[in-house]
Formats: sequence, C-alpha cells, structure tokens
Amino acid sequence: MAHAHPAHEGPEVYFQYESLDQQQESYTLGMWAFLVTEVMFFGALFLIYTLYRMKFHEDFFLAHEQLNWKMGGLNTVILLTSSMTVALAVHFAQKGKKAAQLTCLGVTLLCAFGFLVVKTWEYGAKGDHHLYPNWTFSYGHEEGKEHKVKSFWDDTLPQALHIEKKEMHGNPERAKLFFSIYFTLTGLHGLHVVIGIIAITSLMILIWRNSSLITDYVPTELVGLYWHFVDLVWIFLYPLLYLIPR
Amino acid sequence: MAHDTTHDHDLSPGGAHSHHILPQGTIFLVFGALMTLMVITIGAAFLVPEPLHSNTFFMQTLAIGIAVIKAYLVVTYFMGVKMATRLVKIFAIGGFVWFFTLFIMFADYLTRPYEPVPGWENVPSSALPRATVKDPE
Repeated sequence: MAHAHPAHEGPEVYFQYESLDQQQESYTLGMWAFLVTEVMFFGALFLIYTLYRMKFHEDFFLAHEQLNWKMGGLNTVILLTSSMTVALAVHFAQKGKKAAQLTCLGVTLLCAFGFLVVKTWEYGAKGDHHLYPNWTFSYGHEEGKEHKVKSFWDDTLPQALHIEKKEMHGNPERAKLFFSIYFTLTGLHGLHVVIGIIAITSLMILIWRNSSLITDYVPTELVGLYWHFVDLVWIFLYPLLYLIPR
Repeated sequence: MAHDTTHDHDLSPGGAHSHHILPQGTIFLVFGALMTLMVITIGAAFLVPEPLHSNTFFMQTLAIGIAVIKAYLVVTYFMGVKMATRLVKIFAIGGFVWFFTLFIMFADYLTRPYEPVPGWENVPSSALPRATVKDPE
C-alpha cells in the first residue's frame, strides 16, 4: 500500500506563489488564522466562566459535584489518544505511507465517536436528573419528590456505569448558571468534535480514492491542526468543569 | 520504535524536503507526558494534603498550571509550531496573547469594591438556597 501513489509530480505550485514552501506555509498560516478566531471565540466563554466562578465559587463547587469526573477523565484519555493518532497520521502522510495514515485517521475517528458516546451518556443523565437550565430545572429541594426517572441507559448499561444524581446543596439559580455555562462550553466543544468527524471522514474518503485533491501531506496536517485545537479546548475544560477545588 | 530511524528519508511526492517530520518517538513521548500530566491533575484534585487542599487559589493554580503545560506540549509538538516558520509562530503566539488580553476585563470587575456598581454589590456570594431568601418587593 505504501507504493500505491501514482508517479505524479506532487503538488502543483500555483501562479501566485513563488515556491512550494511559500504555498504550504500560506496553507498552514490560513489554518492558524482560523484557529486564532476559535481561540477568541472560546476565550470569551472561558472569560464568562472565570467571572462567575470568582463571584459564585461556592455554588459552582456544589453544582460541579453532579458532574462525573470519571466520565470526564475517560473523555480526556480518548481525546489525548486521538490527538496522538492524528499526529501519527501526519507523520505517516509525510512519509507517504498511505495505509498507516488511513489506519491512524480511522482510530482518530473511532475516538471522536467514543467521545460523543460518553458525552451523550453524561448529557442523558443530566436530562434525566432535570439538571439542564430550563423551567423544570430541579435541584432536589422539594420534599419527598423523587427525581430519579428511569432512563434509556438504565436498561442497556450495567449498574456500575450509571450516573447517579447526588444530593444537592446551594443556590439553585446559581446551579442553573453553572449548568448553562457547562452546556454552552461542552456543547460548542461537542459541535467542534462533530465538525472534526466530518472533516476527518472527508479526508479519509479523498485519500482512499486517490483523489487529485490530495497531492501531499498538507491536507492531513490542516485537519490535524483543527483536531489538536479540539483537544486543546478539552484540556482546559476538564479541570475547570469537573475538578473544581473546594 | 526502533525501525523509526530507517525511514528517515522522505518518500512522498513533492515531499517534505524542507519540512521537519516529527519523529514517531517524540509523538509517543509527548503522548506519555500528556497522560502522566492528566493523572497528576486528577490525583492532585483528590490527594493533595489538607492545609493546601482547602486553599482554592493554590489548587486552581496547580490545575491550570498543569493544563498550560499540556497545552504547550500539544501546540509545540503535535501542532508543529516548534518546526513552523516564524510567520506561523507569530500567528500562534498572537492568538494566545489576544486570549489573555480579554482578561483585562477584570480591571472592571476586580475594582468594583472601590468603585461600587449599583446592584452588583448586593448579589450575595453565599450558597444559600434561593427558597429561603424572600425577594424584597
């Protein structure tokens, strides 16, 4: 498979560039320009989080106990692994090893889906526990009220994997604020994971079909940059949302 | 990883003649470091001894400090900024500089004790249940 490449001349240097190096640098630069806008986009949300964490630290701590740090940790492992496999995919792309490159991208794709499965599982539990910010938001203060709703997961998964609702303390309005920020940050991050899945799948199809669009490693590198950014956001989200110190 | 060095020359068409290829060994090493740091983050959140554990500032600085090291490793090695051209480096660094610029907003919020803003100082910072607090009509 390593020699599956036809003996074409490699990437064409388009008329506006002086050299292949300059052309490839501008591709990378374009991707970084996009990632800078992404940093600013998430930056504003991190800023909101920081502001309200400082103001309502105690409430945020009490609310964050509803999040399962093991699930978050599992997702961290999944994303770090996927980041490594994307880095390996770029490595193999640069060496022209198509089979290894496709395998690495495939593992990345699996990790991306794995991340979404865990996230859906967590979101599902939050839904069951009425811990999403709407008018039925329930903090469990009402006496004698049972909030445990039988969920889809309860029948399909073993007991050890269930996410239990813990007893809640603190101000429910502040908890609502915490979960608003939680769902905004992780939801937008999840959206980026979905976009990443689309990008990686498209790239794999193009490589698989020996598309004329793929003449070198640069497309893999650009998708890789995007995927590393998704990993980067999670690196900060995990301690900020799941491991709030008392 | 031993076979890594035997394939150092570039096989791809139009290849990476002037571009550095991140060696497989480095990728695994960075991954190992990232995983270790993740374990340290989780471990620290639960196992730091008591006088320090209830020090919110210390614990938060520790967690974010480790996250920054992880981010540095990802950006430098996985995203290849270490091997990138100067122009790409400026863009990458610029993004994070701009991110910190956002936090100048705290010049407002952190000085509100000295320049009170009506309403803001009345927000109780406790964790009291809302149900026990009657809203003044």
